[in-house]
Amino acid sequence: MEYIITIDNFSGPLDLLLHLLKKDNVKIEDINIEKITEQYLNYINKMETLDLDVTSEYLVMAAELIEMKSYVLLPVQVNNEEEENPREELIKRLIEYRNYKEITDELKLLEDERKKYFSKDISDLSPFEIESHDKTECVDVLIEAFNNFIKRQELDKPIDTKVAIKEYSLTERNKEIGSIIRKRKKVEFKELFDKFDRGYIIITFLSILDLSKKQEIKIIQENNFKDIFLVNKGDYNG
Amino acid sequence: MDKVLEGLLFLVGDDGIELEEIMNILDKSKEDSLKLIRELKTFYDDNDRAVTIECLGSKYKLVTRAIHYGYYTKLVNNVEAKELSQSFLETLAIIAYNEPVTRSQVDEIRGVDSSYVIRRLLLRDFVCEDGRLDIPGRPILYKTTSKFLDYFGLKSKEDLPIVEIESKEEDEVDIFNSKYKEDV
Repeated sequence: MEYIITIDNFSGPLDLLLHLLKKDNVKIEDINIEKITEQYLNYINKMETLDLDVTSEYLVMAAELIEMKSYVLLPVQVNNEEEENPREELIKRLIEYRNYKEITDELKLLEDERKKYFSKDISDLSPFEIESHDKTECVDVLIEAFNNFIKRQELDKPIDTKVAIKEYSLTERNKEIGSIIRKRKKVEFKELFDKFDRGYIIITFLSILDLSKKQEIKIIQENNFKDIFLVNKGDYNG
Repeated sequence: MDKVLEGLLFLVGDDGIELEEIMNILDKSKEDSLKLIRELKTFYDDNDRAVTIECLGSKYKLVTRAIHYGYYTKLVNNVEAKELSQSFLETLAIIAYNEPVTRSQVDEIRGVDSSYVIRRLLLRDFVCEDGRLDIPGRPILYKTTSKFLDYFGLKSKEDLPIVEIESKEEDEVDIFNSKYKEDV
């Protein structure tokens, strides 16, 4: 069975090209565009039949190789020398890439060597820091922050608002109603609600009930749906 | 004073300590500090202690000896040395030898898109951003970190393996110039 190196083993199309050259013992400088293109395309095709993902970079390189190949096959034109030689360009890229690849081999050795000795984690010096910082500075900082917070809260408050709700007092209203009834002896219930103010109406009603409870006034209604009258307790007879 | 130095190295562990910091803490000159470090290292080596001092990424660290490596791995059940894959290594190499460098410059040399690899290297703290290149698009420049040097057991960038990349650069310049001369 043929041993197949998949595309995942290469870090890129340049790597694959280097592999193909190495396999045939061809120096980079002696690269044969026609042959390498064929090998490269074969390889890519094989990958595709194996259902492996061929990333776009490999396809770009394939296209470049085909273009180069067509250059090589075409009869040499006079102005060809002035243009960049794609083959030279490719050789340059391959050499440069190979240089770095060689470095990585050395890096790998260094990596292995370094793996053989260890240092330990940095000691936790934070308890130190907390003592020198927290006790003196941090508390002050906290207090200052809190003070600032309070100051800000103060500023956030609405500017001296006074919601002017007129306050009614039950005793006040008791006296008022009491004196009205004493003066006029008999007052119609409706008459006492002379202001259309919820608080006023409530307190008036409460006051009437209160006075009635204290037996200072009497509430009279002669019949259903008739007017309600309030009379002074003392003045009422029968 | 060498005791304090030993203690310092013990405390800083992985993070390591730079020469300057040692100078500040011990209140010693550069020469005296270096001498102390050297003496302590010699003491460790001569007395065959379990630990020694290494300078990694320009930071001094207290490390165990490589010869004892085999014993220490017995602490772990499944020894599987995780290594950086080829694409990570070559990307690191390209950045290290050309830094500061943009992603597209790395892409060009590798012939593949390197954004994923660079992102992973950033996450692992092997490379970091180093400003932006002043060309349209203002691409981010990358350089290797002290952790990168430590990972490969290197004291500084000068310790990187020497490869003839210089000649290649000259070539590039020549072609660049000649090409434009011909165009004119």
